[in-house]
Amino acid sequence: MSRSTPIAGDFLSLLAEHQLALTRVDAAAASPVQTQATTVFAFHFADGVLMAGDRRATAGNIIVTDRVEKIIEIDSTSLLAVAGVPATAFEMARVLQTSFEYYRRSQLQPLSLPARVRALARLLRENLPMTMQGIGIVVPLFAGVDHAASPPKAQIYFYDPLGAQFQAVGYAASGSGSGTIRSILSFQERFGQPLPSRMNLPDAVRFASRLLTTASEFDSATGGVNPDTNTFATIKVLRPGGVETITDEQQKEILRP
Amino acid sequence: MTEEPYRWLEAIANRREYVGEQLKSGSPVLAASLPDGILLLGVGSGQSKVFELFDRHALAGLGHPADIEKIRQAAIDAAHIEAFTRAPEDVSLRRLVGFGLSPQLKTNFEQIFSAPFLVELLLAELGAEPAHDLFFRLHYDGSYQMQTGGAVLAASQPDPEAAGQKWLKDALQGKTNRSEAADILLQAWWCISENKPMTDQIPAEEARRAGWREAVKGRVIEIGWLARQNARAARYQAPTISDLGL
Repeated sequence: MSRSTPIAGDFLSLLAEHQLALTRVDAAAASPVQTQATTVFAFHFADGVLMAGDRRATAGNIIVTDRVEKIIEIDSTSLLAVAGVPATAFEMARVLQTSFEYYRRSQLQPLSLPARVRALARLLRENLPMTMQGIGIVVPLFAGVDHAASPPKAQIYFYDPLGAQFQAVGYAASGSGSGTIRSILSFQERFGQPLPSRMNLPDAVRFASRLLTTASEFDSATGGVNPDTNTFATIKVLRPGGVETITDEQQKEILRP
Repeated sequence: MTEEPYRWLEAIANRREYVGEQLKSGSPVLAASLPDGILLLGVGSGQSKVFELFDRHALAGLGHPADIEKIRQAAIDAAHIEAFTRAPEDVSLRRLVGFGLSPQLKTNFEQIFSAPFLVELLLAELGAEPAHDLFFRLHYDGSYQMQTGGAVLAASQPDPEAAGQKWLKDALQGKTNRSEAADILLQAWWCISENKPMTDQIPAEEARRAGWREAVKGRVIEIGWLARQNARAARYQAPTISDLGL
């Protein structure tokens, strides 16, 4: 009825078996201006991990849209924050979504956190030609629940463009506005009251919105947060029990003076 | 031998007899469309009867575990390839069964020098509303019946299956709660497993209830629930019998 894939439960192997492997396009010397983004970040708060991003996409000095969702729910225990070229990043997200669900359904168990982290690293490595030519660079963040820990705990990982993966102790940020975010998070981790890791959800959401607002002051490619114009961040929370999206309405309520 | 048509027919008839004999002791699986979702139920050893296929799709079956596994894997592969190359919304049970599983089962059944699949299956697709819920009853020879809404069961013998299906249609009338529905499906499971009549002579409700409770001791009630209202794309859940309050 069905041959088993070379690697059991591996969706990329299944695609290759059906000759549907992802194609890599060689970049032309004179490439078009790419759509880019972004500021995304994640930090531990009292209940788990909060992952947030602005909604702006730019091409050169052109603002393409202010309605991009850069924080993507991969499955019920994983979040991806994309920074870089959306065409590549969103395709990576789609591959991960299908791969994780395919593994869980076919093997009747969820993929472990280390395997999920490496799956993203593998996609980044396969994207190396595009990265080296400077037209398909993606520098994502990943958050996943480690069910091997007792009790289960949400963890944050960041990557370099070549696919090296690193676990973040307290926070991670990526994208053009990440320098500002990292500075503030570093300060808050050392001197803040309360520390991000002790914030409750409303405080963490408020803090995340202020981080993005500050980043947008220094980086034109980062869209800020402005409740007066109904411009909010994309904020998702990962707890051991699953993913929660903090909607615009919830953010508006939390940010109400 | 098989170059003569009547010999071929005889060989096919022998295969039907063989498959029927092999499936005789199989434990039935059942499913019902309810306002909040689709409930699938079987009694087995855990992860052996009821399975998630895709976001809105599930499978329940009886037969040889290795054969159920092959078909389950084929369905999952086809659904994920379809979802990835087109979109998750394009995965449909009609295409999965009609163009994928059914022809493969038929081809395998008619290749009389290879072993036939020892399976009887039911597949479910969750719709936006109960009227759009879809069931496929797929047989070991690739033949199938499609049904919209209601309840479906797969048993090893056609007569008890037909009687059970008729009884379920009446018994589930007006039932909206999944605990109540699970109880009724388990009553039907017990009646078919124990060869009880499902006509006017059916045992009393208390006897049926006591019967299934006794019969499931030492076994696992496998439940699949395709939730109609769910923020996530993957609608399948696997509640336990105690989650249903039974």
